[in-house]
Amino acid sequence: MDCEKYEELFTGWINKDISPAEREKLEKHLATCNGCREELAFMQAMWTDMGEIATPEPSAHMEVKFRAMLDTFKTQEAEKFSFKNWLGNLWQMQPRWPMAYNLAVILVAFGFGFWAMNKGTNNQDKGQLQELSAQVHELKQTMVLAMLENPSASERMKAVSYTSEMKHADDQVIEALLSTLNNDPNVNVRLTTLETLSEMTRYPEVREGLIRSIKGQDSPLMQSAIADVMLKLQEKKSVGSFKELLKQKDLDNGVRNKIEQTISHLI
Amino acid sequence: MNTLTDNAIMLKVKAGELDLMGLLFQRYHRQLYGFLFHMTYQKEASEDMVQQVFYKMLKYRASFAGTSEFVHWMYAIARNVLKDQGRKKKLTMAGIAVDELADVIPGGVEVNGQIERKQAAQTLQKAMAKLKEDDRDILSLSRFQELKHGEIAQIMNISEGAVKVRVHRAMCQLKEIYTRIER
Ligand SMILES: [Zn+2]
Repeated sequence: MDCEKYEELFTGWINKDISPAEREKLEKHLATCNGCREELAFMQAMWTDMGEIATPEPSAHMEVKFRAMLDTFKTQEAEKFSFKNWLGNLWQMQPRWPMAYNLAVILVAFGFGFWAMNKGTNNQDKGQLQELSAQVHELKQTMVLAMLENPSASERMKAVSYTSEMKHADDQVIEALLSTLNNDPNVNVRLTTLETLSEMTRYPEVREGLIRSIKGQDSPLMQSAIADVMLKLQEKKSVGSFKELLKQKDLDNGVRNKIEQTISHLI
Repeated sequence: MNTLTDNAIMLKVKAGELDLMGLLFQRYHRQLYGFLFHMTYQKEASEDMVQQVFYKMLKYRASFAGTSEFVHWMYAIARNVLKDQGRKKKLTMAGIAVDELADVIPGGVEVNGQIERKQAAQTLQKAMAKLKEDDRDILSLSRFQELKHGEIAQIMNISEGAVKVRVHRAMCQLKEIYTRIER
């Protein structure tokens, strides 16, 4: 018997996605074929057990991230179409910051490559090599610090993400990031900054800065995102600041619950 | 707003009401996460990919024609994101630890037979993770997203007959791997 033809109908039969004609054809065959009956029973059991593989709940952070993405997207779209921007581009001869940044880094790297090729490397050159890479680093930093002052939110966001590419951040960069975290008018920039800073918690001043900023944040998004970070870090020192935050009367109810939970997990 | 169909909402998004994407996010992010999760069994990667799918739906909103269902379009984009991701990061299943698998199987009170079913599910998940991507893809859509063969045909842009054959082949592969692990 040509069982293979019938086997292809099995899943359709199991999840009732089969035409009446096919169903009848299959059931007729099943009545006479032991092999297919057994195979179908096995497949059906497997299909049912697959239903026991559960899907975990996505984290609450997801919606926050989506909102941030949507807002950024909207800002970018608005910038694309705004008349002011168009006018600005007409006479704007100064290069835009990220371009300047990339260009400068490329130029220095280029010069570096040239120099390295001509010189070869002996011990004396190693010192110079280090000096040069320090210069590149410093240049990157200067550019980033300037970009953080840019009036466009998406440019500031880029600046924040550049800092996460840096191998080490010095006090100035950390200070600038913390100031952006506390003062930037755009919540997406603040969220991105929080994300970047939460990767830098090996620096004690970052941890302290994060804890200090808890009380100052007024957006529910930020409050709940910081709670997530503190929970991830298991930062017990943040409990005091959270308790302060709970004293605010106009605190969002969802955030209030979340913070109460966070505190109870931390102590 | 909540009574609007997905397609009506997406057409409004296309026309510039970008905020309405929030409604579609609320309706579908769990489902989409489920699909991506069963494709990767990696929680964080799946969450990131959900964002990417929504980002792409915003960016390429002009390509939504409204002639077929919004969800089909969404899954098609999700499958592209998976492909890109696979190319970029080599998302392989081999790397998952067993204990990471364990916590996806629901806990709860054990009644006779339930422990066995839980174990079966655990083994099945390992087997799913070992499937070829194409096979996992079609089973994720068919079993976990509970889509009809006709719907999958639209998402994958192949005939319904081809879908049936592929689902069956994937089930046979799964059975083979499953019985091998069981032994
Ligand atoms: Zn047969």
